[in-house]
Formats: sequence, structure tokens, C-alpha cells
Amino acid sequence: MKENHKHIILSDLPKHNVYEVPDDYFDRLPMRIMERTAAAPKSGWVSVQLWQNLRMAIAPLVLLLLFVGVFFFGLESQPEQAAFNIAAVSDAEIVDYLTAYSTVESNDLAELNTLQKQELASEFINVSAADAEAELEYYHLKDTEY
Amino acid sequence: MEDKEILEKFANPDSRNLAFNQLVRKYQQKVYWHIRKMVIDHDDADDLTQEVFLKVWKNLENFRQDAQLYTWLYRIATNECLTFLSNKKRKFFLPINDVAAELTEKIDSSPYISGDEIQLKLQKALLKLPDKQRLVFNMKYYDDLKYEEISEILGTSVGALKASYHLAVKKIEEFIKQD
Repeated sequence: MKENHKHIILSDLPKHNVYEVPDDYFDRLPMRIMERTAAAPKSGWVSVQLWQNLRMAIAPLVLLLLFVGVFFFGLESQPEQAAFNIAAVSDAEIVDYLTAYSTVESNDLAELNTLQKQELASEFINVSAADAEAELEYYHLKDTEY
Repeated sequence: MEDKEILEKFANPDSRNLAFNQLVRKYQQKVYWHIRKMVIDHDDADDLTQEVFLKVWKNLENFRQDAQLYTWLYRIATNECLTFLSNKKRKFFLPINDVAAELTEKIDSSPYISGDEIQLKLQKALLKLPDKQRLVFNMKYYDDLKYEEISEILGTSVGALKASYHLAVKKIEEFIKQD
């Protein structure tokens, strides 16, 4: 028999279904299927299934959204809070603070050149416009390493 | 009854059950034999066939009528088969060859299988093919589907299917020769 198989060409074989079913199987199958469909939901099945699958995930999801919301709300409100705090401080108090705790260096004076007069008056930092110009001339930008 | 008529009747709640019963009677054998050749065991094929028609019942309202009804049925049946075989491999931590060995053993032991030696050898040789290649072979060789229809069912190009079928035939002839 093994020798016979050595030159088998598939197209030469007759097509034969080797599988069988119990007697009357295909006569009874439609009825069995119809019985199962009678128990199956007909409409909204997808949404019910989806709800059943997602139901357990809702509590942690809400908690996660709450944390994310609080985090982002906190981030957004911080600059507004800082601006509000600064606005509440008078100019005189700011000048006093800077006079007491800060020293104005040549770098600060150089930066002044880029500001418009209306944005920051020279008298605001108790330096005359002429002094600021002189300081600026003294400060050689070309020699500065960045 | 034509598919179009079945679908029209199914859309009407009064004739839905009747239409579905006719659909089952029309396609039950095609679906069953398609599944049976993949899973070998009658009881497994019986379960999967019922599952396929339950899915059809639940989703027939959403069926796009620009596609052929029987290719849609084949696609559902094919997915059920592949899922079943995949679960079988995963559930028992079996490598592919062991699942093939289990199915081969069923060919020898199942009460609902008969055939001469060469036919049984052909079935055992088929089990040595990868599942998707076996699907292509079955649909082309046994079901006489066109490559275009198989392409619609499997979502694979016609060229790839032709190459896969040609390769499957060569492998099967080689497997039979080796036995």
C-alpha cells in the first residue's frame, strides 16, 4: 500500500467526505438552534454586553478621571494665583524689597536696553537713563560667552 | 428561497423566526461541514455550528446587503474555527503539532468517520498544514469556492490564496508520499 502512495497526485483522487453525522442530525439541528435563539436577546444585545463588560471598570475609571482632573486644574490655576498675588503688592513694597535684598548688576542694566521706556521706567530701579546708557556702553556683548 | 427574500422577511418582526428557520435550513450543511473539516470532532462541530447561527441571529440586522450572505456566514464560521483551535492550543499549553496529533487521533477513533485508507491519509496530511492554509485548501478543494469568494471570506489577496493553495497541494502530496 505504501508503494501505491509514492506517486499520488491529488487531482487523481476522488473527492470523498470521510466525515459522517448521527442519523437525522440535520433534521433536528434547525429546531435546536431556534430554541437557543428564543432565549437569546434580540435587540440592544451589543450595548448590554458592553455594559456588562465595562460595569466593573467604571469605579476605577471615575477615580482616575477625578485625579487627572484635579491635577490639571491645579496646574492651570497656579499661574493665575501667582499673578493675583503679585497684583496685590504695591509698587512701593516691591521697590523696598528689591532695594533691601537685591543688587543691580551690569547684566540687569544691559537687559534694560531691550525694554521699552513705557514698560519699565528707569526711575523704577533708581537708575538714571544716562547711567544706564553708560553702563551699557561699558558692557561689551561681543566678548560675552553664552 | 432567495437570500434577499429571507432578509426581507427577517426584517419584519412577524416573520423573523420563520425567515431565520429557512436561513438555517438553507445553510446549515455548508456551515457544519466547513467547521467539521477544521475541528474534526462531531460534537465540537455541532457546538460551533450552533454558535455561528446564534451570532448570525444577533447580527443579521446589521448585515450589509452589498456582500453575499453565504460569504458572510463562511466568515463567521471561519472565525469561530480559528478561535476554537487557538483556544485549544493556549488552554492546554500545547504546541501546534500536539493539537494536530490530537486531531489525527480523532480521525482514527471517532465513530462518525469512515473512508478508505488513502482518504484517511489525506485527512491526516491536511492536519499537518497550518490552520489558515488548511482553510484555504478546504474551501477550494472540497467546497469549490472561487478564489475571489475565498478572498472576501478571509480578507486575503487572490494572488496569496493561489500561492497558498498550490503550496498546500504540494505539501499534501509530499506528506502522503512520506507516510
